Amino acid sequence: MIKIEKRNDVSRSIYLLTPVLAIFLTLFGGGIIFYILGFNPIEALKFFFITPISDLYGLSELLVKATPLCLIAIGLSFCFKSNNWNIGAEGQLIFGGIVGGGVALLLYNHNGFYVLPIIILSGAIGGMIFAIIPAILKTFFNTNEILVSLMLVYVAKLLLDYLVVGPWSNPEGFNFPETRQFSESARMPILFDGLRIHSGIFITLITVFLSWLILYKTYLGFQIKVSGLSLKTAKYAGYKGKTMIIIVFMISGACAGLAGVGEITGPIGQLHRNISPDYGFTAIIVAFLGRLNPVGIIFASLIVALTYLGAETAQIFLQVPKYTGQVFQGMILFFLLGSDYLLFFKIKFLGLKKNEL
Amino acid sequence: MNTKLKVSEISKIYPGCIANDKVSLEFGSGKIYALLGENGAGKSTLVKILSGVVKPDEGEVFLNDESIKLNSPLDAKKNNIGMVFQHFNLFETLSVFENLSIDSDKKDEDLRVLVNDILKKYNFKIDLDIPVLNLSAGQKQKVEIIRCLIRNPKVLIMDEPTSVLTEQETDDLFISLKQFSKDGILIIYITHKLKEVLSLCDEVAVMRKGKVVSVSSTIDEKIESLANKMVGENLNTIKKKINNLKNNEEILKISNLNFKSDDPYETNLNNLNFSLKKGECLGIAGISGNGQNELFQILSGEIITEGTSIMFRNKEIGKLNPRERREYLMAFSPEDRISQAAVPELKIYENVALNNFKSSNFFEKGLINENKIKEHSKKILSNFSVNTDNVELKSQFLSGGNLQKLIIGRELITSPELLVCFNPTWGLDVGAINYIHETLIQINEQGKSSILISTDNDELLKLSDRICVIYKGKLSKIMNANTVTAEKLGILMGGGSID
Repeated sequence: MIKIEKRNDVSRSIYLLTPVLAIFLTLFGGGIIFYILGFNPIEALKFFFITPISDLYGLSELLVKATPLCLIAIGLSFCFKSNNWNIGAEGQLIFGGIVGGGVALLLYNHNGFYVLPIIILSGAIGGMIFAIIPAILKTFFNTNEILVSLMLVYVAKLLLDYLVVGPWSNPEGFNFPETRQFSESARMPILFDGLRIHSGIFITLITVFLSWLILYKTYLGFQIKVSGLSLKTAKYAGYKGKTMIIIVFMISGACAGLAGVGEITGPIGQLHRNISPDYGFTAIIVAFLGRLNPVGIIFASLIVALTYLGAETAQIFLQVPKYTGQVFQGMILFFLLGSDYLLFFKIKFLGLKKNEL
Repeated sequence: MNTKLKVSEISKIYPGCIANDKVSLEFGSGKIYALLGENGAGKSTLVKILSGVVKPDEGEVFLNDESIKLNSPLDAKKNNIGMVFQHFNLFETLSVFENLSIDSDKKDEDLRVLVNDILKKYNFKIDLDIPVLNLSAGQKQKVEIIRCLIRNPKVLIMDEPTSVLTEQETDDLFISLKQFSKDGILIIYITHKLKEVLSLCDEVAVMRKGKVVSVSSTIDEKIESLANKMVGENLNTIKKKINNLKNNEEILKISNLNFKSDDPYETNLNNLNFSLKKGECLGIAGISGNGQNELFQILSGEIITEGTSIMFRNKEIGKLNPRERREYLMAFSPEDRISQAAVPELKIYENVALNNFKSSNFFEKGLINENKIKEHSKKILSNFSVNTDNVELKSQFLSGGNLQKLIIGRELITSPELLVCFNPTWGLDVGAINYIHETLIQINEQGKSSILISTDNDELLKLSDRICVIYKGKLSKIMNANTVTAEKLGILMGGGSID
């Protein structure tokens, strides 16, 4: 017979180390998969995790991918810490992109320093508005935010599809499903010539700092923490639960919207059908791998970004589909949840007793 | 079919509490047995042992003179012991029939015939093909009963079955139970409601503090005699606080307070009226689940009511939330100290920050003022003799008594005009209980008022100036504590009436 018991005291250092363990287990598991596919596991893992970042261009690409992941995950940490399960960051990213992109097209003929800030701000507001929908439905109609936020992802995707095929498609674009390229003043400034890394990274870093400040140094952060640990206590302390749900969704949506606008004004430069390779979903893994902690999320976003790059390299050198990247992301989450379970519970094997047979 | 069930010398000890102390009882089919007792008397533990949920430390169970081992609920089922718990174990979104068939190894067609027979025999009217969530509480209970009947039970145990039922449903249930008894099923009926014992049962065993204190026929008993046995007669000797009310200023007035809940497990409150004077302690007695939880939440502001129904220092506060009420100098100590009054994962000073005033300056311009909170916490730890001076300690490492001192300290250090506390001493050791009691007496002496909602009669008689009893969401009349006896309380708590 197997008995599962809760562990009473979990050491904080081990709690922070399990994500590292999960990453090693993922490497190990990935090695086994490559071996079964007939590759030398060490070589394959090298192609996956080292080759992509062995030059300056690779490092820049890593940061380009980590920038939106980190930003979204930081926003999600507000929701997750307070027991609000926003699964729809992908939709909020796309909607932020739509609004920001719309403004960019509107200001197509404008030149000036003010153009980019307006676009960025409108993108953040777009994401925020899209995130308020599940929050309001949850607070006033008791709907489940997981379902609503998830389904809104598809609404945003289809809306984007319609816009780039129909009203917003490039008049000179030979009916390709894309808008025209944004004007120069609507683009994120590139940091180094020849590399794609752009100033969106500063937005991410500022957001990380602000989030740390809010979560650990303010009354709002304290209320979020208490609500996440015990809703009963939050109610007893008299915190305005409904307002807080809306606030955390707004923060989360704004971050996702910023990520979306950073993508379209940064590396992409226009709106088309695939402005995000599921950053909004992958960021959920980043948030948990980083233990919902701003600093942890920075590291986690770099590691998960590497799986995107590794998948591309592996596709070129090993001729495996780029979806191996998702396999690795899945394994990270699986091993993280698995080791967390063993961290918080212990499994006791009891001998079979005769009278139980 | 004759069934005899016997428990012999059953003991079960939990850390710090003897739940069953050498309990021996005998039951025979054809009769309905009541197991009567207050909360914590040991009824539930005994029932859990009989249904295989809990293993006894000592003692044996005999069915028809044969010793049986009950290591799991499955063993209970195999031995034809059926059990209907207070809270239902049904899948709400599945149909009635699906719920029944999950648990049965019979073929669906056979099962349907059997269930229809049962429905006809006992005149149950339930549509088998609608989802359980559309049923009333009484109907859900019938589904649970049918689930037991399918297995041809020899013994049927009902754990406080009427707590979720309406009067009419209760009557129906009693008719069915009497019929089962006639059909040879041995029925054990767990309750703390005295009237039900007398109207339904043939024999009654009374438990108190883990022991069986009496077994008798209900014909020989009256409400008063059962009440006495249930609460114990030694209570009259407890010394009451001297009642020296000089001040007649009214501080709190509750008028026409009603509460209606959508949740069948909650109790509706029915037209409550009372008032509280400065420096007075009002005790509210009752067996748990009679509306105390709801009343506490309404007083604390976790449940918002009409503004006019609660007047505190001549202000309407019914619509204010707990934090806003604290600004008016109210303080609250909820029953659930582990997961409501404090968060175990938070440090002591963070738990102190939960009770936050504008004037306490814990949060200045939205930022946490950690030093201020820690300073304040240190004061609480020393003033209320909590057994640590480390404000960084997580509160999960405090013992129950120290945690309760911290909570009471947190609530009282702001010198509130009114403290509402709910079972402030449950599960504490004698030393901590005394400390809390002294503290509560002290605040009354300082001219502050308190409302003590408690299921512990000793505590109520010791601390209150006036006492009333809550039963099924209604308050009894309010009595001066020196005219109240344990017997009177017992009768009112069991739903009887005095005078």
